[in-house]
Amino acid sequence: MQEWASQLCENRQFGSKMTDSKYFTTTKKGEIFELKAELNSDKKEKKKEAVKKVIASMTVGKDVSALFPDVVNCMQTDNLELKKLVYLYLMNYAKSQPDMAIMAVNTFVKDCEDPNPLIRALAVRTMGCIRVDKITEYLCEPLRKCLKDEDPYVRKTAAVCVAKLHDINAQLVEDQGFLDTLKDLISDSNPMVVANAVAALSEIAESHPNSNLLDLNPQTINKLLTALNECTEWGQIFILDCLANYTPRDDRESQSICERVTPRLSHANSAVVLSAVKVLMKFMEMLPKDLDYYGTLLKKLAPPLVTLLSAEPELQYVALRNINLIVQRRPEILKHEMKVFFVKYNDPIYVKLEKLDIMIRLASQANIAQVLAELKEYATEVDVDFVRKAVRAIGRCAIKVEQSAERCVSTLLDLIQTKVNYVVQEAIVVIKDIFRKYPNKYESVIATLCENLDSLDEPEARAAMIWIVGEYAERIDNADELLESFLEGFHDESTQVQLQLLTAIVKLFLKKPTETQELVQQVLSLATQDSDNPDLRDRGYIYWRLLSTDPVAAKEVVLAEKPLISEETDLIEPTLLEELICHIGTLASVYHKPPSAFVEGSRGVQHKRLPGSAGSGESVESPDTGSAAGVSDAPPAVIPSQGDLLGDLLNLDLTPPATTGPPPPATSGMQLGAMDLLGGGLDSLLGGDLGGSSAMGAGFGAPPAAPAASFSAPVSGGLDDLFDLGGGVGMPMGAYSPPKTVWLPAMKGKGLEISGTFARRAGVIQMEMTLTNKAMSVMTDFAIQFNRNSFGLAPAGPLQVLTPLSPNQSIEVTLPLNTVGPVMKMDPLNNLQVAVKNNIDVFYFSCQYPISMLFVEDGKMERQVFLATWKDISNDNEAQFQIKDCHLSSDAVSNKLQGSNIFTIAKRTVDGQDMLYQSTKLSNGIWVLAELRVQTGNPTFTVCLKCRAPEVSQCVFQSYDAVLKN
Amino acid sequence: MISQLFILSSKGDHLIYKDYRGEAGSDVIDVFYEKVTALTGDQPPVVMSHKDLHFVHIRQGGLYWVATTTADSSPFSIIEFLNRLSGLVKDYCGSLSEKAIQMNFALIYELLDEVLDYGYVQTTSSDVLKNFIQSEAVSSKPFSLFDLSNVGLFGAETQQNKVAPSSAATRPIQSSRDPGGKSEIFVDVIEKMSVVIGSNGVLMKADIEGEIRVKCYMPSCSEMRIGLNEEFSVGKSQLRGYGAAVRVDECSFHQSVQLDEFQSHRILRLCPSQGEHTVMQYRLSDELPSAPPFRLFPSVERDSAGRLLMYLKLRCDLPPKRSVSLLPEGAGLSQELSSPDQSAELQLQNRTVFWKIPRLCGGTQLSALFKLDVPGLSSASMLEVGPVGLSFELPKWTGTGLQIRFLRLSPVHPGPSQRWVRYVTHSDSYIIRI
Repeated sequence: MQEWASQLCENRQFGSKMTDSKYFTTTKKGEIFELKAELNSDKKEKKKEAVKKVIASMTVGKDVSALFPDVVNCMQTDNLELKKLVYLYLMNYAKSQPDMAIMAVNTFVKDCEDPNPLIRALAVRTMGCIRVDKITEYLCEPLRKCLKDEDPYVRKTAAVCVAKLHDINAQLVEDQGFLDTLKDLISDSNPMVVANAVAALSEIAESHPNSNLLDLNPQTINKLLTALNECTEWGQIFILDCLANYTPRDDRESQSICERVTPRLSHANSAVVLSAVKVLMKFMEMLPKDLDYYGTLLKKLAPPLVTLLSAEPELQYVALRNINLIVQRRPEILKHEMKVFFVKYNDPIYVKLEKLDIMIRLASQANIAQVLAELKEYATEVDVDFVRKAVRAIGRCAIKVEQSAERCVSTLLDLIQTKVNYVVQEAIVVIKDIFRKYPNKYESVIATLCENLDSLDEPEARAAMIWIVGEYAERIDNADELLESFLEGFHDESTQVQLQLLTAIVKLFLKKPTETQELVQQVLSLATQDSDNPDLRDRGYIYWRLLSTDPVAAKEVVLAEKPLISEETDLIEPTLLEELICHIGTLASVYHKPPSAFVEGSRGVQHKRLPGSAGSGESVESPDTGSAAGVSDAPPAVIPSQGDLLGDLLNLDLTPPATTGPPPPATSGMQLGAMDLLGGGLDSLLGGDLGGSSAMGAGFGAPPAAPAASFSAPVSGGLDDLFDLGGGVGMPMGAYSPPKTVWLPAMKGKGLEISGTFARRAGVIQMEMTLTNKAMSVMTDFAIQFNRNSFGLAPAGPLQVLTPLSPNQSIEVTLPLNTVGPVMKMDPLNNLQVAVKNNIDVFYFSCQYPISMLFVEDGKMERQVFLATWKDISNDNEAQFQIKDCHLSSDAVSNKLQGSNIFTIAKRTVDGQDMLYQSTKLSNGIWVLAELRVQTGNPTFTVCLKCRAPEVSQCVFQSYDAVLKN
Repeated sequence: MISQLFILSSKGDHLIYKDYRGEAGSDVIDVFYEKVTALTGDQPPVVMSHKDLHFVHIRQGGLYWVATTTADSSPFSIIEFLNRLSGLVKDYCGSLSEKAIQMNFALIYELLDEVLDYGYVQTTSSDVLKNFIQSEAVSSKPFSLFDLSNVGLFGAETQQNKVAPSSAATRPIQSSRDPGGKSEIFVDVIEKMSVVIGSNGVLMKADIEGEIRVKCYMPSCSEMRIGLNEEFSVGKSQLRGYGAAVRVDECSFHQSVQLDEFQSHRILRLCPSQGEHTVMQYRLSDELPSAPPFRLFPSVERDSAGRLLMYLKLRCDLPPKRSVSLLPEGAGLSQELSSPDQSAELQLQNRTVFWKIPRLCGGTQLSALFKLDVPGLSSASMLEVGPVGLSFELPKWTGTGLQIRFLRLSPVHPGPSQRWVRYVTHSDSYIIRI
């Protein structure tokens, strides 16, 4: 502050002219008194100067609220400049002095009737900014008048004032009918007024998602489009953003809107351009692709997007983030514009990296030569980060465009020749990926790679190189030496390298068993005995056991053919992409996150979706419809797939959780095991008897104690009743509920074990879970989420775990569910993928729910309706099943099923066989009709199911089976 | 929508602070300053978030212009708005500096009150705003026009050989209300070239981004007509007639420009409001009408002593009689120069050699020989010798060939009024690969 003041003093000396800066200089004590005196002065000029001083103090953060009454006294003036200053003060301090603020009300009311429209507007603008509840009611009358003012400047200010008032007191605004007046303003003759009314309504509508305040219909849209041509650039943005929320009725309407929005693309204001792009991108979804207009539109979109790149780097960056989205959605728009994304020498690094990313997305067979030439240039630039990205990009090109792979590889080899350390390392990492994508094609380069072994110092590059050596061990003469050289400093390596080295040596052993016994023994003992890293240890044990029990299986597992890696990397998930496209030009498009992720939740952010195509041909993922019949099976599951095959194996639950399991094994039995392993395992490999008999396996020594113990535990979770911790919840009456099973074993859940079941109690579907903490630390912050599923099951509330879960503690949780969530057909139908989060991590598991809990209470059909429906459903939809070993009478059966909402409508006895006719309704309205045949004395029942959605039959049958046998 | 707006000095002092929506306190100013000063070079500075608040900022005139928002609003419109706002402040206060802002805070608060309401941008047109603004600007330096006797001689339009001094365009617009103020109009054609020439001398990429900027100090607004080259064409398909048409790929106009005479006569009609505006922007990619202005003939080799030798020959292909000023250049990695008034230096931290050439005449060529001691120089590291970047300023020349045919004001103004047309081409990124 001192510095500030002295600088300001300097300014003061400057010239004899009066300057505002002198107001800042009053730092003496008692200045408040001085100001008070000046404010009460009779001279107008003096008053004005004093108010200026007050505002200056306010700006630098001094508290001048004590002057409130004196400043408000100055309000009654006809000097507009003074009035503005007083209002400025008022806006700042009214909130802290609510009682005093009332003093100002009279002046506001009077000013709102002033003959000068500037004063009327000023008053209405300021009074909305005084966020004091008490005075709002006094403002209603003046506001009402101003909304109907003859001067458009006042009307447009009043329109915004409604939004301000709504924020302070929503109820008041509704009661006073301001919303209707605001709606009328959409038809105002002045485009500025229209634009502000649209902005205000949009904002108010956001806090009432279902109010349909902004009733967008073809008439209003037409009005907006007319106003669009006339209003200021900023107004155009409000209107375009509002248009983007409209869903046209058909492709013709969509086309006509597009035609009227297109001229905005050549606007000089890039915000207008981007808002127009958003509208067009959205409405284009509705246009059939074979339409001529569609092609024209695509062509029109490219130039404005390119023009955005001529702005300042900051804007360029924002533009590139948006273009990145557009290119992912519709690459055809910019496919000919590759050159504009070439990196300029003087671009800031963040712009360079974005451009590089877009270049890769646009790379195709047609332009790959050009792109590669560029990338090669970039790889010799100065900036290390950028060079690395450029080298990676070459690898991505090779993977994306098959025809270019060869050229990419030779480019990479050229780069390796430069011997620049980080270039070589990046090149090796990407060459590994190229090997994965095109196996057995470019192995000739391995020799060159091996030359650079010593220079690699980054874990990722070392790991990549080791992978290559292991994978192609049979073609590298000195593979064992190479790997051995890495083994020397095994414990200093990062985990990534250690794991890779372990796998590579095992691969080598399986390929060249004779020369490498010692090596494999060494690595296994390093990994299992000398390492504290559980991942490494477990992988070591798994190999050990594999090699000792069944070397053939080991070969199958370790040397299995790997799935090809996917072509396109870093793609944004399609549903997210769709949502982001609806937010083009906004912060969401810069962060590449949906608004719900960063805008405060209270606003009720709605997820926007692109409209479905009305035209033929194109299969756009339609927004989910509620009915199960219409479920789409297109989008992939969100649950992340496991890494490679080995990763999968290792992620299975191997050992009981740490707290109960034995301590890490370092026994002498281990040593024995290690020796035996090489005895027997080698024989079987060398003997050529790859038939892999178990007798051979028996020749291997007993595997080390600890792994043996862990392997005796069941390997898969979720299936086995062994884990039935709930002990079979007794279910004398009511709906059948299966016993709890383990869904998330502690091993997979980092110590969190979840077992659970589903039940329907008093018409509410419940998920009953036991959470057990088997880790050493306290768990908190639990939350749960479901993936989309066949029947739209979703949690009806948050997961209630109120107290932290301390180690070894279990807690029973009941989570009520509803069936209004998003729908996606799963396989099997009753599969549910769940994500549970706690303070440690997020865990994914899937479980199957008995479909019987979806059977609703009003599932009893009228007899007549039953008969008609039974006939109506074609015989193709009929499925027949057998229920074996059931010793119940038909009445008992009927009672038991009734408990699970399977209702018997009629019973018929023919030839000693009871025929029960039953109906059931699923939560999504699907009816299932059944005919159950029970023959006295015969434990096998036959059930015949008819349903319009035959895919549920299997599940329903399973429920029959489960209910009847429990 | 914008929640708060503030202007900070480069040292983080609060110059202006205005809260529009009451969504956050003024303490976020310091949060912003901490964040922005902690940014490293490779992090995009555009949007930064703090809890629920997002900062969008630009730097103009050494000041931070910051807007905050809580909703998912458009960073484009905010950046665009901040740019306009800084332009407006410049127009009103004459220049952009800490001092100018401090001296005119009341005026700036008045402006802020009008341009934004509840965070919604209302207008940024100085024409509209002048009806509402009451305060008078205080100019930081007593404005002295360049020598008036000089001006009297060159009152004619499109002066080619006389350029108005650059200080002429930095003064507050409002002071032109004073009787006796000069009424002047400046029309600048500014082009930025980005060129990539491959190591084999082939032109790989050439782009020109240009704009026509009007700076108006007319007290009252009258209609202005700007005539462009008659053979000016837009888009790839419409070539008119023979010969060297002036062609651009795309152009966009300020919304105040009326284009009814553009199709037929290539005339832009507008009523310029006071202050600075970009009237037209255009872009040309790939096909330049003439050869690129500079060619470089590099040879890089290793001498027997293991030093890196770079021999650079630079040729200017502009028509003779045109001279280029200020031509510093950076090459990928000690030195001998062909003429005395040049200088060169080696910058170790970014591994570049700078060769500065104060002036270069059209049709001439310069050469330089750089010898560098590079430890451990191998044949492979020759590949590392990076591209040569040229930065230059070419006055009175446009890459596209766009010219202003005439500049007419109607009705003709009584009293003296000056019209200035200036052309300049900058290098945006002019890269010659080795």
